[in-house]
Amino acid sequence: MKKKKNNNDKRLMVEIDNSLEKYVDMPLFEEKVNEANRILSKVGLPKEKKKNK
Amino acid sequence: MELPRYKIFYERSRRVFEFNSVGPKGEISKLIRFTKMRVKGVFNLAFGDKKPGTNEIDDEVISNNGDTRKVLATVANAVDMFTREYPSTWIFAVGSTRPRTRLYQMGINKYLHEIVKDFEVYGLIDGEWQKFRSGIMYEAFLVKRK
Repeated sequence: MKKKKNNNDKRLMVEIDNSLEKYVDMPLFEEKVNEANRILSKVGLPKEKKKNK
Repeated sequence: MELPRYKIFYERSRRVFEFNSVGPKGEISKLIRFTKMRVKGVFNLAFGDKKPGTNEIDDEVISNNGDTRKVLATVANAVDMFTREYPSTWIFAVGSTRPRTRLYQMGINKYLHEIVKDFEVYGLIDGEWQKFRSGIMYEAFLVKRK
């Protein structure tokens, strides 16, 4: 059985959990990503000022 | 600035994060994912509630768990962790609904003076990106570590 995540463990506020790897390439939020791609293909990225060396 | 936030779980690539929201509706498991977009160097930020017993994520559900600020602070923490791993990437964010986009806007507004110390923040309005300013309703946001 999967161990329940302990929210009350204040010793570490971040913890690695490799079981989350299954979500890396899983089709999720597809509508949102498609919409984001549509917007970006239309407007592009902001023009960045070159940093002084 | 340290805001109250939830403990966060992440996998090696730091593209997926999970945390539990705790409130009057009980414990709600939330998943955050940064998805590579077609434009090189840009990732989409999305998060939603994990449906119990499935691998599905609902990004339109309104949890009403009384912890919006803590949830947003936790998402901001994920952004911080992600951009430390991928410092030159842009993060694109838009709410799944207009009220949710407004909620993100309010979150950015409230802590803008802190956020701009480490991040460039842009808002999309009338088809153009502009430096984020308070009091303007944007359609989407772009964030990048300075």
